[in-house]
Amino acid sequence: MKPRKAWFSVIGLAAAVVVAACGGSSPQSTNPADETGTLTIWLMNGSAPQSVVDGVNADFKAKYPKVTVNVEIQQWGEIGTKLDTAFAGSTPPDVVELGNTLVAKYAAAGALEDISGKKSTFDNSGTWLQSLTDSCTLTGKLYCVPYYAGSRAIIYRKDFFDAAGVQPPTSMDQLLTVGQKLMQAHSSDPNFSALYFPGKYWYAALPFVWDFGGDIATQSGGKWQGSLNSSSSQQGLTQLNTLVTALSRADKTGDEAKQDDAFAQGHIAMIIANGWEVGVITGKDKSLTDKLGAFPIPSHNSGQTAPVFLGGSDFGAAAKSKHLSAANAWIQMFTDSKNMSQMATVGGVIPNTTSLLGLGTGLNGVFYSAAKNSKFVPNSPNWASVENANVLPDMLVKIFTKQQGIPDATAAASTRITTILSGGG
Amino acid sequence: MATAIAADLEPASTRTPRIPTRLLPYALISPSVIVIGGILAFPLGMLVWLSLQHYGLRELIAHSGEWVGAQNFQTILADPLFHQVVLRSLIFTFTCVALTLVLSTLIALLLLKVRQGVRIIVMSALVFVWATPVIVTVDIWQWMFDYEFGVINWVLTQLHVGNFIHHNWFDNPAQGLGVLVLVVVWGAIPFVAITLYAALLQVPGEVIDAAHVDGAGAWQRFRFVTAPMLKPVFLIVTTLSTIWDFGVFIQIYVLLNQRPSSDYFTIAIYSYRESFGVTQYGLGAAIAVVMVAILLVVSVFYVRETIKQAEIA
Repeated sequence: MKPRKAWFSVIGLAAAVVVAACGGSSPQSTNPADETGTLTIWLMNGSAPQSVVDGVNADFKAKYPKVTVNVEIQQWGEIGTKLDTAFAGSTPPDVVELGNTLVAKYAAAGALEDISGKKSTFDNSGTWLQSLTDSCTLTGKLYCVPYYAGSRAIIYRKDFFDAAGVQPPTSMDQLLTVGQKLMQAHSSDPNFSALYFPGKYWYAALPFVWDFGGDIATQSGGKWQGSLNSSSSQQGLTQLNTLVTALSRADKTGDEAKQDDAFAQGHIAMIIANGWEVGVITGKDKSLTDKLGAFPIPSHNSGQTAPVFLGGSDFGAAAKSKHLSAANAWIQMFTDSKNMSQMATVGGVIPNTTSLLGLGTGLNGVFYSAAKNSKFVPNSPNWASVENANVLPDMLVKIFTKQQGIPDATAAASTRITTILSGGG
Repeated sequence: MATAIAADLEPASTRTPRIPTRLLPYALISPSVIVIGGILAFPLGMLVWLSLQHYGLRELIAHSGEWVGAQNFQTILADPLFHQVVLRSLIFTFTCVALTLVLSTLIALLLLKVRQGVRIIVMSALVFVWATPVIVTVDIWQWMFDYEFGVINWVLTQLHVGNFIHHNWFDNPAQGLGVLVLVVVWGAIPFVAITLYAALLQVPGEVIDAAHVDGAGAWQRFRFVTAPMLKPVFLIVTTLSTIWDFGVFIQIYVLLNQRPSSDYFTIAIYSYRESFGVTQYGLGAAIAVVMVAILLVVSVFYVRETIKQAEIA
């Protein structure tokens, strides 16, 4: 077929351009001052404070005066579909911020530039957070630059705790008893939740699975096997189900998108949240600033904390980009020590390097230390499909709404995860 | 040259047409055939072609799939979820179409009886519902059925129907699908009711009066006089409603926050999820092909009936 041939030649040409761009090693053929065109950057909604973006763009303008930078803010909701279509086109965005669970999929499909050879040109590349570096690495090659991390802990209302005469719990059993006391103290409020837990909030469900030794999937001999139906995973989910049933009046079929709004309305004592959500809540109601506290999700072993999901984002350059050197220069500036410090202090996130972890003070310190006991989802190119197929949220909804018992719901989810991770739909 | 100019100078009436009469109908229909071919047949052909390939993200980026023959179809036909989804879609469509037709007929009959002023109010309300973009109306429905802040829960509690504080309409899929039927039927009624009302106006009053004189009751007058006369219109609105309701997507997708659980999958949602969610474009295309095939079977029946009606008339 003729159109197919035409496509192949286009791909060939694109490959040649990429090879030419990468093969030139350090001295680029064009001087930054002479390079022209538009550099398109996709940032995720809420990831970077505007002051940081503006600062990076000003620095970039000084080095590449003739290149126009176009920063587009994307929403998390349907980002997978948008990225697929953008990378399939001939002019994808030059730089994309990717959720750390999505990188493997795009790296494996050849959408991202292999930057293994350029690693040392990025600030702090020797001290990048290990789990973010892992999310950027596929079959030994580096496909993205760690950007920031986020880990969850419990944000709570100190005034509610004081009024009910309770202290932050140090075990899961205590979490339940503290919650029950809070429920009792607010028994006249039909909207009150001691621990607000929307049914689809799978990031917050994972610590319970991991704390009892369970996992989403385990790998042996290169093959992934879903393991949410293991007895330890089920134990964790049983514990979570008890907590949700007793302490939460959140929508059992809803997600966590509205939890900060809900918390700010004053009918909630605890939420499981990221560090930056403290700022979102106080932004809605300034009077809460002094009333908020945070503590790590307690383990079922008294005195320990449960492992949390390490979320975060990375920066990748599109393999099809026509401005790879400029794209990497922009990433270098955004992830340098100066801007990473800004991200930590102004943005309230965990920076990409261990050398800056000292910046986590006050409430932020709780979230920083939670990151030290963290875990990640299966690092497989097919993981993104598990997310997009809503396997975990669907399972949790079935459990919380009692449509299915935990053994049945976890068995169905495990089978689906095994199928998707081994490449099937 | 000279003869051509001479020909042009001849009076128009005596000129012979350039296109032979025999070919004229084809010449006249060809633009529409080309347009339909371009915007319908070609994409449909591409869909079938895609359904015969393994087409994931890597293939999408490289613009070249891997030929797998009928494997995608074998996969979906062996998938129990797919069977559930097809069955659910069929029941959902049947329920929506039946409710739409019954309620629309009742509204159309009512419009005949009421005073002018009331008729104008009802007609304006119907047109308003029909004219509002679906996305906007579904957003409003979503707020009304909201778990925490929804007006439906508040009103039902105030009316002492029961305690609906924090009642989740989508906890139980049977109830959730009931809400979806309501939203779809609500949006479908205006077009069908107005069309049926227009058709009712064409039923001669004398015939009805004659039946009345002969002692036919209201139901008999409708059953044996009005309904047979409306049959061609009923056929058309049933066909259109079936096609629309079988392909329902926006209502489910928006009402369930773009993340419907598999209990709410209709065939259109399932195809979308496999294509754009799980990045299995070949599999998604195969589901879409099956969907088109089912609709074709249903449509052929209606089209045949419509042609029969036309021949009788």
